[in-house]
Amino acid sequence: MKKKLLSLAVVAAMSASLVACGGSDGASGSSSNGSGTSITILNSKTEIQTQFEEMAEQYEEATGVHVEVYNADTDTTVASQVATKYASNDPYTLTMVDAKDIYSLADDYAYDLSNEDWVGHTTLGITVNDKLAGFPFCVEARGIIYNADAIEAITGEKFDPASVATLDDFKALLDKLVAGGMEKPVGVLSEYWSLGAHYFAEVYEQQPDPDAFVNSLLAGEEDLAGNQKFNELMDTFDTLIAYNYAKGSAANADREETSMMLAEGQIAFMFGGNWDWSVLNQYDFTENMGIMPVPENTSDDTNTKLVGGGSKYIFVDSSDATSDEQRQAALDFLNWLVNDAEGNAFLTEQCALVPAFDNIDASALDPLSLSVKSYADAGKLIPNYNYLPDDHMTVVGQEIMQKYLDEAMTRPELVTAVQDYFKTATPIAH
Amino acid sequence: MKTNTMSYKFKQYLLFAGISTIIFACVVIIPFIYGLYLTFTSWDGVSRNKPFVGIDNYVSAFADSGYWTSLGRTFIYSAIAVILVNAVAFIIAYMVTSGIKGQNFFRAGFFVPNLIGGIVLGYVWKFVFNKALVELASTISSGHAKSLLATESGAIAALIIVSVWQYAGYMMLIYVAGFMSVSEDVIEAAKIDGCTGTQSIIHISIPLMTASFVQCLFLTITRCFMVYDVNLSLTNGDPYGSSALAAMHVYNQAFINKDYGTGQAEALILFIICAVIGGLQVYVGKKGEVQA
Repeated sequence: MKKKLLSLAVVAAMSASLVACGGSDGASGSSSNGSGTSITILNSKTEIQTQFEEMAEQYEEATGVHVEVYNADTDTTVASQVATKYASNDPYTLTMVDAKDIYSLADDYAYDLSNEDWVGHTTLGITVNDKLAGFPFCVEARGIIYNADAIEAITGEKFDPASVATLDDFKALLDKLVAGGMEKPVGVLSEYWSLGAHYFAEVYEQQPDPDAFVNSLLAGEEDLAGNQKFNELMDTFDTLIAYNYAKGSAANADREETSMMLAEGQIAFMFGGNWDWSVLNQYDFTENMGIMPVPENTSDDTNTKLVGGGSKYIFVDSSDATSDEQRQAALDFLNWLVNDAEGNAFLTEQCALVPAFDNIDASALDPLSLSVKSYADAGKLIPNYNYLPDDHMTVVGQEIMQKYLDEAMTRPELVTAVQDYFKTATPIAH
Repeated sequence: MKTNTMSYKFKQYLLFAGISTIIFACVVIIPFIYGLYLTFTSWDGVSRNKPFVGIDNYVSAFADSGYWTSLGRTFIYSAIAVILVNAVAFIIAYMVTSGIKGQNFFRAGFFVPNLIGGIVLGYVWKFVFNKALVELASTISSGHAKSLLATESGAIAALIIVSVWQYAGYMMLIYVAGFMSVSEDVIEAAKIDGCTGTQSIIHISIPLMTASFVQCLFLTITRCFMVYDVNLSLTNGDPYGSSALAAMHVYNQAFINKDYGTGQAEALILFIICAVIGGLQVYVGKKGEVQA
């Protein structure tokens, strides 16, 4: 009998500990006490995680607020990671996501930032249903990255990106490079996000009215083959394919290898954006690089502009899992980024990001970011289009554009495939 | 004390299996039921409300041609991989139980690939296929060779090669145990009766090892149908999404395309197919077991 009682006691103790495990979750969100507030932030720009952690330490020393920085998982999407946190009622105080995620999260979880001090310094914040939900973390833009050293070594004259704004001039330069010994002067990333969300997306973004264009595609009324912007951009893409160093196994080109070849001058051009600097600077790079608009035989000025704008947005959690104290600390932190010299230095110097606020000095940036900033300052940025259907990137990017890049698909086939895709795609409400 | 009453039995059950039942319910049963519920909603994975849509998700899952293509691909991949894994595993199991020199070393060696995680293994093999083999082939044929991963059928072949490399060692262990369980007496008796080596394998060892085959086939079939990690790190669906297997399609549908309900419904269909095939195979296999 004694034994039985003992074993029952053990069972009871074990089940009690199990219950205790489950119950402790709710308390962890509000662990703040007199010693200082504690906030959490999800960093989805994984390349700046180290800088973020260092900044958090300095920030705690200066303000007493403890900032816990979490790095986004690279093997899953940020949206699914955020979803998990909300499902377990343990959200981050500050969450950094893509513009698109702001639209899906804002209604339920984002705190209204309209009354913050920094609002007047930017035009890039995201407003959803009259609520300023997204704090723009940085500016990013895409175009063709060039290695001026590699070009000048062959042509012998100073490279001016404006001189190759049209496709004809661009082709002439490529031929010159080939004649000068650079067999294949171009690299094209084969990743589906680059092909679908960055290159092909320009077909929509460069339209006079992107929203109307996408809607008519969704309605099945658009004749893509007859669309001028589509043809101009695809003509350029054909040229990129023809001069691609990985021609033959283009769909398998390795991002690291392509970036290395560009940094070291084995190729001269690569389609990309200023975020690519963090890859390029891993190699024996030259500072004499920059981003130029995608060359096009066009008369609508789009070949003088980069495509981009605010990138990575931070929202402050509005749910009950975050205390008012934490929320205030989070708002203070965003203010610190914009209005404090240390915060500015974190953005522009430590992380080498193009700031989205006009009061921040950014003269010490890397060459690609400087390019982007000069286009942004001159008002020569075509805005991102954030309402493409969710599966656009995998279907158009991977199944269609990658096939086209590998020359396993013709232009008419591509037109049909894209139009068919849009007929069954689910539009994004906005 | 009465030991055959309902309450006594229940108490005994609680005592011995209570905790595991609770844990099993928490981590398997409840999530499964909740997942089942989600297949009837159009939840996007994040938002607070989960609108009920009835069987819409199943309708769109059945209409999703990409899913059925990837499922067909998974069947082909699994069929070839399962046969190869088991054939290779059986052969090396035979070799390392036949008393060759250093057989313990070989056993450990063949098992090692299984200790490397699928993601890492995928990246290692990606390097082998894209760099090492291409370099080698280019030198031999003195031209630019194409990587196996750059062609549609090549990418599937590469997945099969890596799976065989990964699982064969593990299955080998089970077959080794099977070989060891066949009593020496029976083999000796067969020898005395004039059996050759091959005959005694086919007619004595293999029938007595049916349990090992049932286990190995079950493990390989379920693993092949559910494979995701190697698929992700080795090909990530490239080229042009032609190597995305069913699990990857389900994941992309739910998390990248943010169509949680359809993804969940497709996952459930995959689970049912997998459970039916696995169960059927075990049932048929068990019937064929013999005792010495």
